[in-house]
Amino acid sequence: MPEGQFCNKRPVNTDEELKALLGDTGGQKYYQEMKALEVDTALLWSTIQKTMKSRIKTWLSICAHCGMCADSCFIYRVSNRNPKQVPAYKIQSTLGEIVRRKGKVDNAFMHMAMETAWAKCTCCNRCGMYCPHGIDMGVMFGYLRGLLYQQGFVPWEMKIGAGMHRVYRAQMDVPNEEFVDTFQWMVEENQEEYPRLEVPVDKEGADILYTVNAREVKHYPEDLAEAAILFHIAGEDWTVTSEGWELTSLAMFAGDWEACKMQVTSVYGAMERLKPKRMVGTECGHAHRATVVEGPYWAGRKDGQTPVPSIHYVEWLAEALRTGKLKIDPEKRIKVPVTIQDSCNYIRNHGLKEVTREIISYIVEPGYFRDMSPNREHNYCCGGGGGFNGIGLYRRQRNEALKTKRDQILATGAELVLAPCHNCWDAIRDLIEEYEVPVKWSFLKPLILKMAVVPEHLKPRE
Amino acid sequence: MFKNILFATSATEASDHAARVAFNLARQYGAAVTVFHVLGVPTRGYSQVVVDVRTKESVQVDDEYRAWVVEEIKNQHGGEMKKAPQAVVEVCVGYPHREILRAVREKKPDLVVMGGTTGGDSVYKKALAGTTLQKVAKAAPCPVLAVAREAASFWGGFSSIVFGADFSKASDAAFDFSLKMAREAQCELHLFHAVDVGATLMGKIMDQDTIEGQIRESLNRIRGRYVAKMGDFKNYTMEVWEGIPSIEIVKFARERNADLIVMAHHARQADLEDSPMGSTMEQVIMRAGCPVISVNRLPKA
Repeated sequence: MPEGQFCNKRPVNTDEELKALLGDTGGQKYYQEMKALEVDTALLWSTIQKTMKSRIKTWLSICAHCGMCADSCFIYRVSNRNPKQVPAYKIQSTLGEIVRRKGKVDNAFMHMAMETAWAKCTCCNRCGMYCPHGIDMGVMFGYLRGLLYQQGFVPWEMKIGAGMHRVYRAQMDVPNEEFVDTFQWMVEENQEEYPRLEVPVDKEGADILYTVNAREVKHYPEDLAEAAILFHIAGEDWTVTSEGWELTSLAMFAGDWEACKMQVTSVYGAMERLKPKRMVGTECGHAHRATVVEGPYWAGRKDGQTPVPSIHYVEWLAEALRTGKLKIDPEKRIKVPVTIQDSCNYIRNHGLKEVTREIISYIVEPGYFRDMSPNREHNYCCGGGGGFNGIGLYRRQRNEALKTKRDQILATGAELVLAPCHNCWDAIRDLIEEYEVPVKWSFLKPLILKMAVVPEHLKPRE
Repeated sequence: MFKNILFATSATEASDHAARVAFNLARQYGAAVTVFHVLGVPTRGYSQVVVDVRTKESVQVDDEYRAWVVEEIKNQHGGEMKKAPQAVVEVCVGYPHREILRAVREKKPDLVVMGGTTGGDSVYKKALAGTTLQKVAKAAPCPVLAVAREAASFWGGFSSIVFGADFSKASDAAFDFSLKMAREAQCELHLFHAVDVGATLMGKIMDQDTIEGQIRESLNRIRGRYVAKMGDFKNYTMEVWEGIPSIEIVKFARERNADLIVMAHHARQADLEDSPMGSTMEQVIMRAGCPVISVNRLPKA
């Protein structure tokens, strides 16, 4: 059975394997090997029989092929309304076909299915809102990705990402010690301006356990500093954990179900060990979906809940502004036309649309906020969700997909885009670069920090 | 004085003059040098694509590419690097200011040397306000020496040091450093302050009595805050002028044939973003005819 050195059905479980896979620049050899990768049809069919439950079976069989989902899909719309981009077609021609053929599909079919699953769907779930039957193609593509991953037909970066979670319990190669050390470094760097700033590590029974995205640690730790300073100014009793601190899940994007469980179990372990009153996660959309919305099911938690109540950063921020823990200097409110990117993963899929508007009511001078059209739960994906941003093989398709968001942003006339989600933030940066769009974009933390009132007793003496 | 120098280079012409100073200092003090270059910005989320800071191209960074960049750096600074054959070249991926600060934290150099700004089209500019130099100078625990101009000549020894005073806590650390340098090099130390009659007054004109009053007061503050700490060190002058501080200090340094300017750079993050022309320190670096060292804090005991 031709299993490649890099492209095979085995997950990446060690640091050596990770480094070797990373060493295959751009996945050149990986994709070459994929051309010869055999499909284990027996395994594929037995997996489907074990894991495909009544919901997906029903959805596949009741689809009326009415085409109502077509216009709901932003990729269909930017693809000159190509019928092959209609969500129902995309899922029926891949997952539907695998089921109809009882798993007897070949290498060429799996290549097509891989491209469809990762380059034609971002799992934004918008189609599910417009289907008269409520069929959610995004959910089914998430399932299909699992089948593809098991067979080794997964984009190179996704296999690496899932491997990172397996080896490091983080989406990047950030060991636990480095996380703690980086957070402490950021705090030290800001102690002149905020003299009693600290990062309590592994404190039991704190009001808040704060979890992050490993990229903050690796590339822009200023984000950690900003989080610490805002908790400090708000007078919160908070902590971070030295183990289980990563909120995100590239394993979810990759369809590596086993790694998904490993990852969220590490976070839940921290919750159980430290017993905080609740968990607050950073400004990340898919991370919230993974750890808060879907994770409890991956971990087999019968109540479908995280061990302690868990909220998105925007929920904490809105609450802190509402209760006056954080006060905004009215003079410093945003006074340029500004819009907000509604992240699919916690707006459409977790109902937080009014929370972000509440934040805007505190930080934007009245008259300057311009909503995108459509917006809230009807908003389009940023163009880079579901792993699309990270996959070099599908860069061209991703850049095409960015046009929807580009045009939405331009239509608002906004000069600043608030993007409280890492994926959206990346996609918006890339569309600004790719299409030379003259706007700025930002997470919420750095903006809030510039306009928050620092209580007198927390200011430096000099 | 300097045993461990971190030379952070953009690997472009903007760092050539800094290279000369870094290696001249290394030769004079017998210091170890790490040539440190952040080759690109990590981009597109968790993808392995990096935008190379010099070529502006999207590249896949692997060992081969790193090795190529190291060779490029050796080509760029080859002539200067001969002065310190033990120098090590290191390259990494990330946002330059953050990676430089990370390297400073790990290697604990006693001096960071940097070049001038690489200009407004830098690939980093878009995501983060302020220049790399501003950010490094603000947060570094050690002195940061910057050289932007070819005219900023420095061939080894120090004979005349100008300390630009602003009477802040950070400025105290800059003074301590100036005095230590001057004692060590047995050279002149010029204590200087400029009364700001320009930009910060929003067009208001100060009357001459007020200006002269402030000059007298500043001289008294120099005596009380700095001269009082100098003990037996006598080879100093003190002077207060009025004008735009960054211009006055450059003029003063030229007049005293200074080969080093020392000052504090303690702008807040918000200040960095709101001043597109940069801080006083950046203005001085851009204009000065000698290297400029920024010192913000006393070395940790």
